Amino acid sequence: MNFYEDRKFQALIMIFIASLAGVAFYKAPLSGAIIMGAVIVFGALSLFWKESHIKITGLVLMVLLSLSCIYLNGLKFGIDFVGGTRIPVMLDQPVDQQTMGEFIQTIKGRVNVLGLSEVKVRAIGDNEIYVEVPSNDEGTISFVEKTLSQQGVYEGIVDGRIAVSGDHIFRTSITAMTQAELVQQGGGRGAIPDWGVGFSVDRAGAEQFALVAKGKQDYPVYMYLDRPKDAAIFFQRSELKKALPADSNEKEGMRALKNALKLEGDDIQSYILEDVQNDTNITAQTNRTKALVSENASSQMKDLLRQRGFIVVEESADKMVPEFQRTASQVLVLSKLEAVGLLTAPILSAGVTSGVPNYRYLITGGVHTGITDPVLKAQQVDKEVKGIESILKGGALPVQISLGSRTSIPASLGSEFLKLSLITIASSLVIIAIIIGIRYRNIKATMPIVLISLAEFTILISILGSFTIDLAAMAGILAAIGVGVDAQIVITDELLKKDDQHHTPHEKVELAFSIIKTNIVVAIFTMVPLLFSKLLSGLLLVEIINFAESTILGAILGYLLTRPAYATIVEELLSREHKP
Amino acid sequence: MIPNIYKGNYKLLAIAPLLILAISLYFIPSIKMGVDFQGGTLITLSLKDNVDAQQLQTQLQAEGIDAAVQVFPTTMGYHAEIEVPQSKDLVKTEDLKAKFNALLPKVSQLEVASYQSSNYSQEYKAKKAELDAIADEMFALAGKNRATLNISGTNDLQKRFTESYSDIYLNYQNSVTGPLQRLVKFDSISVQIVSPALSASFINSVITISFWAAAFSAIFVFLFFRTVVPSIAVLTGALCDVIIAMGAMGLFGIPLTLASFAALLMLVGFSLDTDILLTTRLVKRKGEPHDNAYDAMKTGLTMSVAAVVAFGALFVLSILTHIPTYYEISSVALAGLFGDMFATWGINAVVVLYYVEHRKVGP
Repeated sequence: MNFYEDRKFQALIMIFIASLAGVAFYKAPLSGAIIMGAVIVFGALSLFWKESHIKITGLVLMVLLSLSCIYLNGLKFGIDFVGGTRIPVMLDQPVDQQTMGEFIQTIKGRVNVLGLSEVKVRAIGDNEIYVEVPSNDEGTISFVEKTLSQQGVYEGIVDGRIAVSGDHIFRTSITAMTQAELVQQGGGRGAIPDWGVGFSVDRAGAEQFALVAKGKQDYPVYMYLDRPKDAAIFFQRSELKKALPADSNEKEGMRALKNALKLEGDDIQSYILEDVQNDTNITAQTNRTKALVSENASSQMKDLLRQRGFIVVEESADKMVPEFQRTASQVLVLSKLEAVGLLTAPILSAGVTSGVPNYRYLITGGVHTGITDPVLKAQQVDKEVKGIESILKGGALPVQISLGSRTSIPASLGSEFLKLSLITIASSLVIIAIIIGIRYRNIKATMPIVLISLAEFTILISILGSFTIDLAAMAGILAAIGVGVDAQIVITDELLKKDDQHHTPHEKVELAFSIIKTNIVVAIFTMVPLLFSKLLSGLLLVEIINFAESTILGAILGYLLTRPAYATIVEELLSREHKP
Repeated sequence: MIPNIYKGNYKLLAIAPLLILAISLYFIPSIKMGVDFQGGTLITLSLKDNVDAQQLQTQLQAEGIDAAVQVFPTTMGYHAEIEVPQSKDLVKTEDLKAKFNALLPKVSQLEVASYQSSNYSQEYKAKKAELDAIADEMFALAGKNRATLNISGTNDLQKRFTESYSDIYLNYQNSVTGPLQRLVKFDSISVQIVSPALSASFINSVITISFWAAAFSAIFVFLFFRTVVPSIAVLTGALCDVIIAMGAMGLFGIPLTLASFAALLMLVGFSLDTDILLTTRLVKRKGEPHDNAYDAMKTGLTMSVAAVVAFGALFVLSILTHIPTYYEISSVALAGLFGDMFATWGINAVVVLYYVEHRKVGP
C-alpha cells in the first residue's frame, strides 16, 4: 500500500506526533493522562476504521509513544519499590472531601518548600493522611515531620503592634455571616457588605485589641499568617512600579510598605533591590537575617545580598507582588504581600476603636464591583470567606493534626521487591506462552500473545508510572495481563476451530469479540465502584485504588487496542497458512 | 484430552461443586478480619536472624502486650508480623475526642456570652466543668494532670487536649515498639495503627462498593442476555465463585483486608468471563448443546489455566518476599479461580444446558 496516499495512516501519524509533543512538553502526571487520551483516540479509530494495517499501526505507535514517555519522563515508583519513609498524619476530627483536598494541597505546599518534589501526600479515610518521602535520611525526615506539625500563626497587626493573635481567637467561633447578619451590619449606614466573617476572642484578647486599636479608626489590620521573623524584603524597581496604582509613586509605595511591615522590635525592612549596590548601609541585622527576593532577580544581586550577610530566600515572582488600596481618607496602604504572609488588610471601623473591650469581631468586604453575574459573585464571596476563615484559624489546616509513627523501607529492599516483581511478570508470561503453545501446537498463534502482552505491559506501566506504581498497581498489572491473555485465548480458539467451515476467519473474530466485549464491560463495571469509592462512600481507598486502576486500564486497553491488533495479526497469519 | 463430560447424565456434575459450596459456607464465618477492618495495630519487622515466634509472643505477653506473632522466612531475611488488638484506651480516646469536639463550640460561645452578661455565667460554668471533665479523662490517659498544665483558657485547653490525644497514640506506639526494640534486632519497622473510626469507615466504604459492584454486574449481564434464566445462571456462577473464594479464606486463614477485598471484586469480573463465554456459546450458537458446552469448557479451562499461572507466579513471589498485598490478592484470586472451574463447569453449565435443552423441547 502507498503510505503517502493513505490518509488514515497519515492521520494516525499526526496524532502520534501531537501526543509525542505533549508527552515531551508536559511532565508526569499529565503525560500519563495524554497517553490515556491517546489510547482512547487510537482505540476509537481502530474500532472505526476496519483496515487491519490501521489496527496494527495504532498499537505500534502506542507502544512507541509509551516508550518515549518512559524515556523522557521516567517512571515513578511508590516507596515500596524505591525505599523511603511513610509518615501518617492524623487529623483531630474527620473532615469533608473538599477540606481534605485543601488540606493535602497545604501539606504539599509546605513540604515542597523543602525542595522535596517527590513527596507524596494522600488521604486515608477522612481523618488520616499519608506523607511519603522517598528518602530514609534522618535529617530530611525529621525536617519534614517538623514542617508538618507546625500550625500556622495568625497575627493581626495595627500600626506596628499586635492587636489580635490566633491564641486568643475561639477557633469554633469563626463563622461566615448569614445574609440577615450582613443586612443588619449594613444597618442603613451604608451599603450592605457582600460577605463577612465573625469571630470571638477571649477576655485577654479583647483587652489587647481594645488597647491597640484605640483611636485607630480607618487604620488597616494587617492580617499575617506566619509572618517571617528577622527578615528584609527587596523589590525590583520595575516590578514595584508595575504594582503601584497609577496615581501613586515609589516614595508613597515604600512608605505604605514600611507602615505595613513594622512591628515593635521586629520590623521587616523593605528596599529597592537596585539600591543595594550604592547604599552600603543595607546590611543584615543579625547573622540569621533573611533577604526575601524574587526568584527572577539576577544572581549578581543575590550574591551581593549574601555578601552583605543576608540569607537569601527566593520567593516566587507572584508572591512578591504587593497589592495596595486607598483608605477612606485616601491614604495608600498595603493590602497584600504573600512573600511575608500578609494576606489581607481590612480597615478598622469606628465601632471597635473606642478602647472598650469587644468580644465579637466582624470582618466584612465586598467583591469587585465589576462582577455582576450572581454565580460568579457567589463563588467570589465563598473564596473570600474561606480565605479569611483559614487565616484566622492559623492556615489552611482547619483542624489540628498529630503525627503517627513512621515506616521506613530501605532502598535495597525496595529495589529487590521491584526486581522480583518484574521477574514474576516475565516468568508468568513465559509459562503462559509455553502452556498455550502446548495447547494449540501452533507457534503462529502463540507468539503474538507474548508480543501483545509485552505491548500491553509497556503501555500500562507508562501510564501508571506517570502517577505512582505501588504494590497494588504492580499486582493489577499482572492481573491485567492474565485477563488479557484470556481474551486472546477466546480469539485463538475461534480462529483455530477446524470443524467450523461455515464462517470466514473474519466472522469468527466477530464472534469472539462479542464474547470479549461482554466480558470486558462487565469486568470494568465490577471494578469501577472501587475507583469511585470516594464518590460512592466518601472514602478513597488509596491502598487498593491502583489495583482497580490498572485492571480497568488493562481492560480498556485490551478492548480498544491490543485485542483487535491481536485478532488482525493472527487472522492474517492463519489465512496465509490456509492459502494453497 | 478430557472426555466430553456433558454427555449422559450431566446433572450429576453439580454434586462436587455443591459440596464445595457447602464446605465454603461452613468456613466463611471463620474468616479472619485484617487490621484494616478490625482496627488495631500491625507491626511488620524485617529481621536479619530468625526469631522464635512463640518465644517472642510469650515475652511480649510478659510485658503486658497481648500480641500475635508470626515469623516468615523470605528471600531477604526474616519477616515478622505482630498483631496487637485494638487497645481499649485508644477506643476511649477516640470517644473522648468526639465528645470534646462536640461540646467545644457551645462552651466558647457561652464564654463570650458570660463576659457580656452574668445571666450566662451559671450555664457557662456548668458546661465548662463538663468540658474540663472530658479533658481531665484525656489528660489522665496521657499521664498528665490539668492542674500542672497551667491552662490559660479554652483555646489553650483545646491545644493541650489535642496534644494529649497525639501523646496517647505516641505512648501507645512506644509501649509496643519499646519492648520490641529490646527483645528483637530488626532492620526496619512499620507500625500501622488503624483507629476504630478508620476501620468503621473502611467497612462502610467496602459495603457500599460491594453493593454497587453487584448492582452494575447484574444490570450489565441482564442487558447483554435479555433472558432471565441464563442471566441468573451467570450471576449465580459469580456468586458461587466469591463464596468458594471466601470459604478458602476462612479455611486457610487468609485475612480479609482491603487488598483481598479488591481481589474478590476482581474475581467477580473474572468468573463472569468464563460464565459469559459458556452462556454465549450455548444460548446464542447453533449446534449440539453438549458439544458447545464441551467446547466452551476447553476454552474456559485454558483461560483459567493462564490466569492461574499469572496469579500463581504472584503467589510464589508473595511467599518469597512476604509482601502482604501480593499474598492477599494472589491467594484469593487462586482460590477463586479454582472455585470458578467447579462452579462454572459444574453448576452453571448444567443449569444453562438444562435450560437450552428444555427450551428446544418446548412449544
